[in-house]
Amino acid sequence: MFTELNSILNTTPDSFTQGEFILVSDRQSDASFLIHHFLSLYLRARCKVWFLGLVQSFNHYSAVSQRLGVSLAQAKEKGQLVFLEGLQESLSVLIPQETNTGSQAMDFLRDPSVGLKSLYEFVQSSMSRSGGTGEGTDGAEEWGPPVLLVDDLSVLLSLGVSVGAVLDLSHYCRATICSQLQGNVVMLARCDGEEEEDDGDDEGSERLLKGLTHQCSLTLHVQGLPTGFCRDIHGQSRVPSRRCLISQSSFLQSSVQHCGQKLFIWTSTHI
Amino acid sequence: MLTELLQSTDAGGFLIIQDAAGFSGRHLLKSFINAALNREEAVHVLGFEVSEEELKEGLKGSNIQRLHFHNAYADPLGWTDNPAFTVHQFRLEQLTHLVKQTSHPKPATLVIDSLSWILRHISPPAVCQTLQQLRKGGAVKAIIGLLHTDMHQRGTVGSVCHLATSVITVAPGMKGDEAVAKITKRSKSGKVMQDEEIFSLKEDLTVVVQSRPSQPGPKQTDLEEQETDPTANLTFNLRLSDTEREAKEKLALPFVFSKEKKTALLHSGPGSGRILYEPDANDDYDQDDPDDDLDV
Repeated sequence: MFTELNSILNTTPDSFTQGEFILVSDRQSDASFLIHHFLSLYLRARCKVWFLGLVQSFNHYSAVSQRLGVSLAQAKEKGQLVFLEGLQESLSVLIPQETNTGSQAMDFLRDPSVGLKSLYEFVQSSMSRSGGTGEGTDGAEEWGPPVLLVDDLSVLLSLGVSVGAVLDLSHYCRATICSQLQGNVVMLARCDGEEEEDDGDDEGSERLLKGLTHQCSLTLHVQGLPTGFCRDIHGQSRVPSRRCLISQSSFLQSSVQHCGQKLFIWTSTHI
Repeated sequence: MLTELLQSTDAGGFLIIQDAAGFSGRHLLKSFINAALNREEAVHVLGFEVSEEELKEGLKGSNIQRLHFHNAYADPLGWTDNPAFTVHQFRLEQLTHLVKQTSHPKPATLVIDSLSWILRHISPPAVCQTLQQLRKGGAVKAIIGLLHTDMHQRGTVGSVCHLATSVITVAPGMKGDEAVAKITKRSKSGKVMQDEEIFSLKEDLTVVVQSRPSQPGPKQTDLEEQETDPTANLTFNLRLSDTEREAKEKLALPFVFSKEKKTALLHSGPGSGRILYEPDANDDYDQDDPDDDLDV
């Protein structure tokens, strides 16, 4: 959890806006530090967190969270964190074995054209099983509002899922978690290539990004510096906010350091 | 023109509000809903993109009873067992039935939030056909739709907008709380009018039209560059003190002829050689100075 980012977004573990759909995106850069930030923020806020990890293993997130002061293994044991390890589950789909107790979540790998209804149903049934508001079944621990983190959506495109199906999934997650359960959703979508004014929908990741931008309430966009690589500053982030009538954007310059992330506001511009 | 459209009561009208990812047109859509409610009309909203609470935020008063929200947000694709309204129900018969369910003396206005959602799941020709049938059908007085232009191909956007009687494209304005609306209106006689206006929205969703946007003039505020002094910040001195400047101006340059120099050269002083000339009878002695026409 990065305290500077918290102060920019006006969030703390004790007080954050509920019912938000936050889109984290990047272009020719790596915004996964923001996913780690939100993971540790919501765990510290005592929310019940569902994490769809489609690109990295549990150990990876665990190691990074350790540096941020949060223990994922402990959270998992206490029942605060539900982790879907996409990589492992997909193996059980691609290499079917007899002792297969895998859930239906990654079934779309068999036939991507079917859509992501099974993935949504996995998340939704898991949430409703635990009461939706995150209460423990044995009444041991009461957690805060539910939070869904997805890392990342763009990989679904490369697995053959259509842009429309991914947008449907994000719509349903938002309708269920944000509106119905008053929880939060954070999704990461990545783009490579320059931003173009393209006419059609040939570039799937661009269209996905635009569609998600229309759906979300807050966007955090990370991109490389326009002047190229710099030793001290590794990227800039744009925070267009749709909370107000007209979008406002702030530019932050950031630097990824070994044991953490230093963020500092360089300039705040109104667009 | 924006104000006229807001107060318009023409039947058979189809208004499209176009927006892009950078700026949402939903606030303007809510202004239109508010205006229709204030005219004591019934408004039916097909809500695909935002929930009922979010759409009704800002709309107050007793008018809100005339707003009928059809929940296509919770389950638009029928993934649960009993969906309220799915995208596949976007057809003339079902929509007519939906609107006629609420009895109201005046024909209702149908608001679609958003057309982009429907176009993602139903083919554009079918959508266009349904919209055209609705316009001619008489069940609804007017249709207002929100369209995200960056989500579709230009051809699709063009086809749908071709059906519309008015199209408003919103974009962010120069200042923070202003927006620019490009309006195209087709009247029944076939005349097309276009206009561009700057507007802002107040808290109670009324639209305040500021002015026409002027030609984008040169941005004078922060582009004025100050003349930099080239003699500053040098390791040697390029400046002149007052005495030095005086001496410089007094100096006579070698090849510039002043009056004294001219007379000294042309009329030699005493002691130098003199030329005595006595003309012959054959000489043509001209008294005029032959150098008179020289401009020296």
